[in-house]
Amino acid sequence: MDYDEKGTVIEIDRDLQKRGAGRGIRVGKTLRMITKQPIKGPVDVIVDEAETSLGLELADRIIVEVD
Amino acid sequence: MGHPNVGKSVFFNRLTGANVTESNYPGTTVDYTKGWMKIEGEDVELVDVPGTFSLDPKDKAEDVAVAMLHETKDAKVITVIDASKIERGLYLALEIIEEGYSVVIALNMWDVAWDKNIRIDARNLEKILGVPVVPTTAISGEGIKELVSRLKSAKPVEVDDIIANVGGLT
Repeated sequence: MDYDEKGTVIEIDRDLQKRGAGRGIRVGKTLRMITKQPIKGPVDVIVDEAETSLGLELADRIIVEVD
Repeated sequence: MGHPNVGKSVFFNRLTGANVTESNYPGTTVDYTKGWMKIEGEDVELVDVPGTFSLDPKDKAEDVAVAMLHETKDAKVITVIDASKIERGLYLALEIIEEGYSVVIALNMWDVAWDKNIRIDARNLEKILGVPVVPTTAISGEGIKELVSRLKSAKPVEVDDIIANVGGLT
């Protein structure tokens, strides 16, 4: 995803599902990318009005279909 | 218990008269604090814990919160949820309920949710979950008295009953 792009979560690694759900991220949710930190830093997304940051390792395993 | 930056420490200060540091950014509380409050003349110990997103801790502060919860199996748990971000808050609340704790849910920052045009049917939510659900604005004190008065009616509920109440899993 690029800055300010929106997308829908279509797949999350099984072992990450709990961790994602605690942050309101699950299959079917719409995410909007708001910041990408440089040098492999975390990405910030908005889900349900709530900002949350995800480490790249985690973000890599959440598959999003960009609108 | 609750996510970072939902107002747990504001609650704690309100309930115990203590003076734990509060601020408007997440992660202010990194260790637990104990205090006392009176409920109907009885002294009750209250513990303020750091915020956590789930019962599967991912950092030191979350570790403290989850360890504290697991150390006190018979505790009643005030689960503080940011009413404007209810879904992820309910996830944590359900995890705590699933572990068999007696839970009271505070839908905190009710004023913020209201301003964002978010309306929550707290009574219906209470019916579905089977645990007391109280709208609160801890910073102004709204709903705090009701929350305290509902603590005694908190009891463990079966997750299967909650699933039945919403008409099964989809």
